[in-house]
Amino acid sequence: MFSRILTGACATAVAVLGFSLIQPLPASAADATIAKQPWAKWDTDGKPVRGGTLRLASSLYIGKMNPNHWPVNDWVTLSRFMERIYINNGTYEPATPWLAESLIFESPTVAVMKLRKGITFHDGSPFNASAIKHQFAWITDKKSGAWTAGSVGPVAKIDVVDEHTVRWTLKHPWAGFEGMLATAPGYAMSEKALKGDQSALDTNPVGTGAYMFDESSPDNFVKLKRNPNWWFAKASGNPDMPYFDNIVVSVIPDPAVRLANLRAGKIDLLTLDKSQYQIALKDPNLRVVKWPRNAMSGLRFNTTKGVFKDIRLRKAVSHAIDRKALIAGTQFGLGRIASAMYPGDHWGHNPNLKPIPFDPALSKKLLAEAGHGDGLAIKGYMYNTSTGTIVAEAVKAMLTNVGIDWQVELMPPPAAAEKMKSLDYDLALGGWSWIFDPDRMATGLYHPKGGFNFGRSNNPEIIELVEAGRKEIDRKKRQKIYWKLEEVVYNDYQDVFLWWEENAIAFNKNVMGWDNDAFLTYKDTYFMSHHLWFKDGKQ
Amino acid sequence: MGRFVAVRLFHALIVLIVVVVLVFIFARLMPGDALLVAVVSSNIDVDTAKAVATLRAQYGLDQPVYYQFFRWLTDFFIGDWGESIGTGEDVLDMFLERLPVTLQLFLWAAVWAYAIGIPIGIVGALRRNTKTDMALTTAALIGVSIPAFFEALILIYLLAVLLPIFPPSGFVPFGDDAWGNIMSMAMPGFVAGTGGAGLIARYVRSSLLEVMRQDYIRTARAKGLPESAVVRHHAMRPAMIPVVTVIGLAWTGVLGGLFIIEVIFALPGLGRMTVDAIFQKDFPVIQATLIVASLNVLLVNLAVDIVYGYLDPRVRVQ
Repeated sequence: MFSRILTGACATAVAVLGFSLIQPLPASAADATIAKQPWAKWDTDGKPVRGGTLRLASSLYIGKMNPNHWPVNDWVTLSRFMERIYINNGTYEPATPWLAESLIFESPTVAVMKLRKGITFHDGSPFNASAIKHQFAWITDKKSGAWTAGSVGPVAKIDVVDEHTVRWTLKHPWAGFEGMLATAPGYAMSEKALKGDQSALDTNPVGTGAYMFDESSPDNFVKLKRNPNWWFAKASGNPDMPYFDNIVVSVIPDPAVRLANLRAGKIDLLTLDKSQYQIALKDPNLRVVKWPRNAMSGLRFNTTKGVFKDIRLRKAVSHAIDRKALIAGTQFGLGRIASAMYPGDHWGHNPNLKPIPFDPALSKKLLAEAGHGDGLAIKGYMYNTSTGTIVAEAVKAMLTNVGIDWQVELMPPPAAAEKMKSLDYDLALGGWSWIFDPDRMATGLYHPKGGFNFGRSNNPEIIELVEAGRKEIDRKKRQKIYWKLEEVVYNDYQDVFLWWEENAIAFNKNVMGWDNDAFLTYKDTYFMSHHLWFKDGKQ
Repeated sequence: MGRFVAVRLFHALIVLIVVVVLVFIFARLMPGDALLVAVVSSNIDVDTAKAVATLRAQYGLDQPVYYQFFRWLTDFFIGDWGESIGTGEDVLDMFLERLPVTLQLFLWAAVWAYAIGIPIGIVGALRRNTKTDMALTTAALIGVSIPAFFEALILIYLLAVLLPIFPPSGFVPFGDDAWGNIMSMAMPGFVAGTGGAGLIARYVRSSLLEVMRQDYIRTARAKGLPESAVVRHHAMRPAMIPVVTVIGLAWTGVLGGLFIIEVIFALPGLGRMTVDAIFQKDFPVIQATLIVASLNVLLVNLAVDIVYGYLDPRVRVQ
């Protein structure tokens, strides 16, 4: 009889084990918020296998590993061991609660945030309301040396309601509040670590992420090891996540050598230099995908001094540039023709705006109308990088075709910054990188107090829209404001929008689990929630 | 000899003081707002103006220039070289961590350069105007002419991608893995050495030829000494004087000359650190680097002068 009981128990155990292998473990009440997300699907590319060391390369050493201390040069690596309260969705909205579970505004200046339960830092201390309060008090304390202190200025106070509930009180309605939680100050920091030797966090970080810091050598590498207690693994029903035992990020400054390392099998995944895209596509051992980046490349006009006060001349320049040819010839085909300032997949982009057509005949006509039928001489600058140089040469040639002589100087970024500040240009390098909250770019480029205006743009309608967008906290209304803003900037030919950026990455074919279509849809959220693995768990 | 050294040291000190003042002035005169560029390039969405203002105060750049100068000067001589704007590291720590890497590369380069260059130069001089001499001279010329980055990329492709013998890049500290260190330094050392080998071969050949024409060499031969003894005991030492100068010149140029190799092979050395700092207008690193480089030149020139004095007593008398 005892043997029958034992046999029955064993059979039951095997059944349970077998069932658990093919079904995710049941989610807790809190985890239901994850399970119902549209991105919460992990059934592509086969069954994940644990094991191996993912080897990556970066052009720069990470720098400091405390997100509030300057500088952090590699935010992608940092995001592997530290996590934010909110993260961005597929249209770059900070709309995905990550370490937080929900955020409800009781009034335009008071928000109640529920935090996820069961999250611990790598030092074992809990992620809770007290940690959030302490972190933000530390950021705003001058002694902390946090360069992000200015970014949390509108926060008046933070109250601990209970262990996992925080009440935020703002000084005024702040449309960028959730955006702030999805950027540098929003990376959760351990209260226990902050109360200890804070400077140690620069080189021995403590986060909540899927990986933990292991060791580093400045200018050489960073090594991370798997976090066996990662909260998301349990909460999402993927207990084996993350799948790699370790991650090593080596610093390899030269792009040709990075590709050589990939092709020699010394690294497993690489963001390609654009010039390498076609080479990598032909390599049978690599899988290459491309994705859009939230950056716009363009040219800026000085619309308050010099010839480009005249909109006809701005139009002439914009219509003289063949954007398709520029992307094909200078960006190796990687880039999307830009119609306006926000990328096409950004929630602030007005989908009704079309790219400015290439029309050199129209350019000549407009030049003649403006009194420059015999030619126009203008000056400007671009960066003296290899990309900056070829773009400058290509644009110069296109402008020459319509009778515009662009005297463009090539110079390093700090010198270019001086020219920008002194308005010593007619047409120069423009664009914007890392476009998340639309206010940054709008204020930076078009508001008198913007960090990149310096008086070169002064359109009252645009300024009014920028200020309205900053204050509006209703998402739908805010979107309408930015659509209108884009339209006004577009119709006024405030700048030349050339292309929205694209990246290409190459994987060793042994690396499994990347669904590029899902990434294109969910972007940051996909990157944080879906992890790669090696086929058979080995390099 | 003591007075000779003391006079040289005094001159070096005067030069150092002038350099310190000029370094500070020129670093400040470089155009551009590095902090603004750094924040914009930081790949994070933050309020740029506020971030730049905070950083400017953090690095003391909001203080009057004279205050910045005296603060920097006093801090420098007590070992506080400041913090890098580009990496956040303590600048003195950066030097101390990266110096061994550059030293290793330099030593490997010197070994290759002298191991190849001296024998080629001697054979070329002793077999002057023969086919052997022409072949060796051509090889030396090729070694000097090939750009380091081209040679490096070819070697990486051949010996790391096609035939995976060596790692394509990266540095392994000797203390962590001695064999890994040798393998990681083999290709960079060879590339760094081949340019120097060609130069040394040409110096040794021409210097030895010059010495072999001297009267005392004729006297040595007339005494019946075999040619090998004439070269070894009477010709080599005076022929090495210009070669010593080359060692000195090579070391003073080490930072810039090895930069390309450090970048391509991803070696965390001083050369790479320096040029990164220049492009980023990383004040603290630029200032420290210029002073260390000047000190380097002064000390090496002093050492070369002293060695000259030892090799050739006539220099001491002069």
